[in-house]
Amino acid sequence: MSSNPSPTRRKAAQPAVRRASFTRQRPTTARSQPFGIFGSILFHGLILAAAFLTFQRNLSTPEDSHVVPVDLVTVADQTNVAAQAPPTPPAPEPEKMDMPTPPAPEPIQPQMQDVEPAPEPPVPKFDIQKEKKPDTDKPVEKPQTKKEAQQDFAALLNKLTTPDKAQKNVKPGPRVIQGVGAGTMMTADLADALKSQMYRCWSPPTGAPDARDLVVDYDLNLNPDGTVARLQMTPSTAAQAAGNGYTRAAAEAASRAIYQCQPYRLPADRYNVWREINPLRFDPRQMMQ
Amino acid sequence: MKKFLVLCAALLAFALASLPASAALTVDVTQGNAQPLPIAIPDFVPGGGGDPAAGANIAGVVRADLERSGLFRPLDPKGFVEHVTNINTVPNFQSWRSITAQGLVTGQVTQQPDGRLRVDFRLWDVYGESQMLGLQFFTTPENWRRIAHMVSDAIYERITGEKGYFDTRIVFISETGPAIKRVKRLAIMDEDGANPIFLTRGDYMVLTPRFNPTAQMIAYMSYIGAKPRVYLFDIETGRQEMLGNFPNMTFSPRFSPDGNSVALTLETAGNSDIYVMDLRSRSIRRLTTDPAIDTAPSFSPDGRQIAFESDRGGSQQIYVMNADGSGQHRVSFGAGGNGTPVWSPRGDLLAFTRQQGAHFTIGVMRPDGSGERMLTNAYHDEGPTWAPNGRVLMFTRVSPGGRDSQVWSVDVTGRNERRVLTPGSASDPAWSPLIQ
Repeated sequence: MSSNPSPTRRKAAQPAVRRASFTRQRPTTARSQPFGIFGSILFHGLILAAAFLTFQRNLSTPEDSHVVPVDLVTVADQTNVAAQAPPTPPAPEPEKMDMPTPPAPEPIQPQMQDVEPAPEPPVPKFDIQKEKKPDTDKPVEKPQTKKEAQQDFAALLNKLTTPDKAQKNVKPGPRVIQGVGAGTMMTADLADALKSQMYRCWSPPTGAPDARDLVVDYDLNLNPDGTVARLQMTPSTAAQAAGNGYTRAAAEAASRAIYQCQPYRLPADRYNVWREINPLRFDPRQMMQ
Repeated sequence: MKKFLVLCAALLAFALASLPASAALTVDVTQGNAQPLPIAIPDFVPGGGGDPAAGANIAGVVRADLERSGLFRPLDPKGFVEHVTNINTVPNFQSWRSITAQGLVTGQVTQQPDGRLRVDFRLWDVYGESQMLGLQFFTTPENWRRIAHMVSDAIYERITGEKGYFDTRIVFISETGPAIKRVKRLAIMDEDGANPIFLTRGDYMVLTPRFNPTAQMIAYMSYIGAKPRVYLFDIETGRQEMLGNFPNMTFSPRFSPDGNSVALTLETAGNSDIYVMDLRSRSIRRLTTDPAIDTAPSFSPDGRQIAFESDRGGSQQIYVMNADGSGQHRVSFGAGGNGTPVWSPRGDLLAFTRQQGAHFTIGVMRPDGSGERMLTNAYHDEGPTWAPNGRVLMFTRVSPGGRDSQVWSVDVTGRNERRVLTPGSASDPAWSPLIQ
C-alpha cells in the first residue's frame, strides 16, 4: 500500500486541476452566453422530461395478475371529494342500436361443393350510429368561473404530484371535476373493470398442445355505450392464427367472449381513455399453471 | 459543443424510449371461465325424399357427440325461438343470441335420385354473425350415423382447432358370465357405443387388442391352445392368424405408426424382452436384452422411439428407447409403480397406469418424464388408450372386489370423466384412428 501512493495522490490532484481549468474557462463560457442559456435550458428540460417519464412509469400501478370482480359505480353516485364545479351535462345517449333483422334473402340455390366451404352469405352488420367523437382538442368554450379557475390550479398541482398514465396517453377534455374519487384518471381501475366483465365470458382453450402459450391480442374499439364498435386481431395474432388452427380457435374464443359480454359498463366521462383498447390480451398462462 | 449535442440527443432518445408505444388502453385478461360452448343444433330440415326422420336422427347424433366431448353444451331444441326451414338463408342471429347460443348448426338431408343421402350443413358464429363452415356429404342411407359423426368431427375441428374423434371405433374385451368362468370376447363398436359386434366367439380368452393405423386390423393376445400368443384379426374378412410361431408366449402387441411392423413382448427362458416384427418379411428383431421384464412397448407417432415398461430398476417403471433399441433410459420417477405407457398420437404426452398399493390410476407425463399429472382418482383404473386427436383417453375401470369392469373416458385435462356405454362388462379398450 505505502509503496504506491502516487495514484491516490494523482486522483486527489485531478479535481483541483479540473476546478482550476473550469475557473480559467469561465470567461470563455461567458462569451458564448446566448448558446449557454438555451443549451442549459434545453439540457435541464430534457433531464426533467426524462426523469418525469421514467419515474412516472415506475410509479404507475403494476398490472394486476388476478381478476377482482368489480362492481363499477359511476363517479357521480359515490364520491369522496366534493364537487368543485357544476357537473358536466350528461353524455348524450347513444343512438339506440337496432339490430337489423336480416332481410329474408331470395332463396339461394344450394351451391355447396363437396368439402368446400359454402359461399359467404350476406352478413348483416351492426348498424351502429357512430356517436360523434368528443373533440378533445377543441374544448367547448365555456365561461370560466373563479371557482373553476381555482380548481384548475389545484388540478395542476395534483398533476405535478401524482403523475399518471392517462394524462400521458390522452389529451384531457374540458377539465371539469365533478367530485372524483381517488385515482380517477388512472387506467388500472379501467383495466380491472374490463377484466372483471370479460373473464366470465372467456372460455380459454384447454387441452390443446401448449395451450398455455395460446396468447392472443385484439385491437378493440368501443362505442360510448360500451358496445363493440370494431374488433380486430392485432397483426401478429392474425399472422399466427392464419397458420395455426389452435391459435385461430383461441382467437375466436376470445372474440366470442368480447361480443358476448358487451356492453361494458365503464365510466362515461372517461370514454377518451377506454375508447380504444390495444392490445386487449387474452393470456391463459396463469389459468394453466 | 459536439459532446453537448450528443448528450442532448441521448437524453431525447431516452425520453422518447420512455414513452409508451401506443396511446390506447392496454388490458390483459388472465383469468377465464372454462365452460362448454353453448351450441344450437336444430333438427336437419328435410330436403325431399327419403326417411322424414333422418334429419332429426342425424341432428340427435351430432348433439350427443358434441355433448359427450365436454367442450360443447347443445341447447335443448324446445327452447329455440327461430324455426329453421331453409339452410340457405342467413339465420336471425339475435334470436339465437337470446337463447345464449354461441354457435348454430343448420343442416338439410336430401334423398338423391340415385338413392344416396345428401347431407348439407352450415356452422354459424352467432356473435360474429358469419358462417364458419359449410360442408356437404353423400352416403348410402344406412350409413347415416357415420355422416352424423363426420359432421360432429367437422364442427369440433372448426371450433377447437384440432381433429375430431367421433368417426372412430372402439375395440374392447366384452366380459360375460360369472367371475369363475368369465367369457372374454373380442368386440367392436362405434365411439358412441352404437353398432356393437362380437368378433370372436368366446372359446378362448382374448386380451390387449390394438388397432393398426388403418383401423382394418387388430392385433391381440389369445390363449388358443392354452398358450398366450399374439394374433392378427382382419376386420373386413374376419380372418385371424398367429403372428409368428414362437415356442414361447408372445404378448402385448402394438403396431408401428406406419402399420408395417408390430412391437411385442416375447418370453424366452423366463425372460421377457421386446421385439419388433416386420409384417411383410415376418423377420424379427430384438430390442431389449435386460434380464428384467421388459414389456408394453408403444411407438412414438414419428416411429423413432418406443416407450416401454421394465422392472430393471427394482420396480415397474417407464423407459424410452430409440426404435432400434439404443438409448434406453428411465423417464418415470413418480411414486409407486408406473407401467403401460401409451404414446399420444400428438406426440406430446405419455399416458400410463400408476400402481400405489392396491390403487391403480391413470396419468400423463411428457415423454421426458416431466409434467406428470394424474387424471383419475378411482379405486382401479388401468390400460389407457388415446383418441386419435390425443385429447381424450379411455381406460378400464374395475369396481372394488373386481366383480365388474367398465370402460371410462377422461379428457387430457382431467375433466369430463364419464362412462362409455358398452353392452355388459367391458375392459381393455383400444381406440381406432379416424376411419378413412
